[in-house]
Amino acid sequence: MSSQQYLPWIIKYRPKHINDIVDQEEAKQKLIAWLKSWEEGKIEKKAILLYGPAGCGKTSLVEALARTFKYQLFEMNASDSRRKTDIERIAKVASQTAGIIGKKLILLDEVDGLDPRADVGGVDALVEVIKNTRNPIIMTANNPYQEHLRPLREVAELIAMKRLSEKDVVTVLERICKAENLYCEQVALKEIAKRSEGDLRSAINDLEAAAVLNKRVTVDTVKAVAIYRDRVYAPWEALQKLFNATYIFQARDAVTSTDLTHDEFITWINEHIPTYYENPEEVWRAYEALSRADVYLGRIIKTQNWDLLSYALDMMGPGVAFARTTYKYRWKSFKMPEKIKLLAETKKSREYREALAEVLAGRILTSKAIVKSDVIPYLRVIFTQNPQYAAKIALGYKLPEELVKWFAGPRAKEVLSYMKKFKK
Amino acid sequence: MSELLWAEKYRPKSLDEVVNQKEIVERLKKFVAEKNIPHMLFAGPPGTGKTTIAHALAHDLYGENYRQYMLELNASDERKIEVIRTKVKEFARSKVVGEAPFKIVLLDEADNMTSDAQQALRRLMELYSASTRFILTANYPSKIIEPIQSRCAVFRFVPLKREDITSRLMYICNQEKVVCRDKALDVIYEISEGDMRKAINILQAAAALGEVNEDTVYKVVGLAHPREVREMMQLALAGNFIEARKKLRELMINYGLSGVDIIKQIHREIFSSELKIPDEFRIIIADYAGEIQFRLVEGADDEIQLNAFLARLALLGRKVKV
Repeated sequence: MSSQQYLPWIIKYRPKHINDIVDQEEAKQKLIAWLKSWEEGKIEKKAILLYGPAGCGKTSLVEALARTFKYQLFEMNASDSRRKTDIERIAKVASQTAGIIGKKLILLDEVDGLDPRADVGGVDALVEVIKNTRNPIIMTANNPYQEHLRPLREVAELIAMKRLSEKDVVTVLERICKAENLYCEQVALKEIAKRSEGDLRSAINDLEAAAVLNKRVTVDTVKAVAIYRDRVYAPWEALQKLFNATYIFQARDAVTSTDLTHDEFITWINEHIPTYYENPEEVWRAYEALSRADVYLGRIIKTQNWDLLSYALDMMGPGVAFARTTYKYRWKSFKMPEKIKLLAETKKSREYREALAEVLAGRILTSKAIVKSDVIPYLRVIFTQNPQYAAKIALGYKLPEELVKWFAGPRAKEVLSYMKKFKK
Repeated sequence: MSELLWAEKYRPKSLDEVVNQKEIVERLKKFVAEKNIPHMLFAGPPGTGKTTIAHALAHDLYGENYRQYMLELNASDERKIEVIRTKVKEFARSKVVGEAPFKIVLLDEADNMTSDAQQALRRLMELYSASTRFILTANYPSKIIEPIQSRCAVFRFVPLKREDITSRLMYICNQEKVVCRDKALDVIYEISEGDMRKAINILQAAAALGEVNEDTVYKVVGLAHPREVREMMQLALAGNFIEARKKLRELMINYGLSGVDIIKQIHREIFSSELKIPDEFRIIIADYAGEIQFRLVEGADDEIQLNAFLARLALLGRKVKV
């Protein structure tokens, strides 16, 4: 029909119903349950932070969700919303109760686009909006674990979408071929899917580009138009790629595919070796490889010999990935490492210990090393077993209050109150 | 009302108060009488009185305020020779009040210095020998380079005998009016391996728990060396790697232990009878622990290295059960 205007395929073939969404069962179920809880007035978190790699269908899923459950969708791109008026506009919509126009769903797309420097108050303003909202809010992000998004992580429930598999992408492409009445070689679709690395949007764009050339989509046309895109991966995606790599080069590429430093990425791998591997033999082999990588990085720092980096990356990527004894694709959810949260705590604890060693070393006439190994452990016994006596020693060495607090742990209150008493 | 660590409180202040190392003390007293000392190297095991005697000597030479005539450095805390060089330079140039013809540089644990640093130290000793005397202490004199050894009068400190330690502990108990069983003192001696400082620390902690008897001594030792290390190893050996890793994090946070501290404690546990594993595995584990410690000293990350160790334990543990 001539009246049919041209629409890019990515819009033309957007899923209409939630059932059209391929292979995101977990995210779907969680979202539906959350919307239900809104309707029943039993919400735990007022907002969702829906995250996943580019082109996995975050926005499409929210749109399909709204359509399926008859919500009016208010879509705003959060990266444009740094202006005060925009935030106020969001706030206004959010604060209205459902009225004549029916149920409302607010979509804040790409919240990771908020620039932490240019847009200092933006995240806080959004947090306020979420706290006061009377309508469900869904935010999307590629990488929700950026430091400046922490306040949003705290007020929202995190739901992950996974990068689509090659098979999923092929399924969608086949549907489009059929609808467009195209002749598509199966191998050609596979080639497009492979190059898309789970980014459905780019796969559909590539298919359309190949079909414009020729009504027959063959491997040759695909090779002519489709490109390998240079991708930056979120840490958990890079881990997905690393652990599930079928070839050495994939595992190796995964290591440099994030915007993390090598040390940071090692922390992620360190956390998740036992998430991915269950067999103790694999766990150990993976850790041994990772610890070798760590040793190389240490040597690089010491000697500034950056030639060694290549070996560190070999151990981090392929070394960890090929620790497996058998290969099976496993999709795992890789959370933010505990260690990043604990780092501050361990640091504090070591500083206290160092300070205490410093005080005592000068008095007992020995090195801090000896104080740490031969004095502090026994002194700790006194501090945790006999608060009264500990208080006298604390006074004898004029130990500051916060040091006493740390050192006496659960008995700190008692020690401090004896100290007060003895001072008088 | 305040109290000090007994290791400080009962440290002999002058050579006359030192009860052990008789021959060494006699020779040093002659130096005091002549008001002159050579460069000296005090060599011997930890806790045998090297540093204490160096201080007592300085005390006898200069009187109560001896510390202004003495620069105390610890090679294991100040590994950089640059730091040592600057401090010695400043100290040697500073004016001395009174009539002392020389000042003393006490360099503790000098065997922890690399041989390059020791070469630099040798030059320092020559440069400032007119105004300063060096006293070096070392656990292992063989690790001190020969040019330094030949410039020093070497004093070999002998390990303390059982009665040296127990009689000192008994003396302290009497002074502190603490009830103390003979058998307990024997146990302390065994645990301290002839290290007086360690023995006194254990005694004081045991006294804080009440009467010093075998039970309190063992209790102190158990509390001082966190059981978590053993528990962590047992969890790993039982195949529960995730829980073992959690314990490791607790140890690092609650006790402020470094990776090296933990691997050293692990090493002690490997050969304990509490750990029920075949002996051939103890050897494998000890070897791997040594490798891990080396990597840590080289500058590797504490948690990653120890996780690798725990993962190895989990793997070996599975074989034990079979």
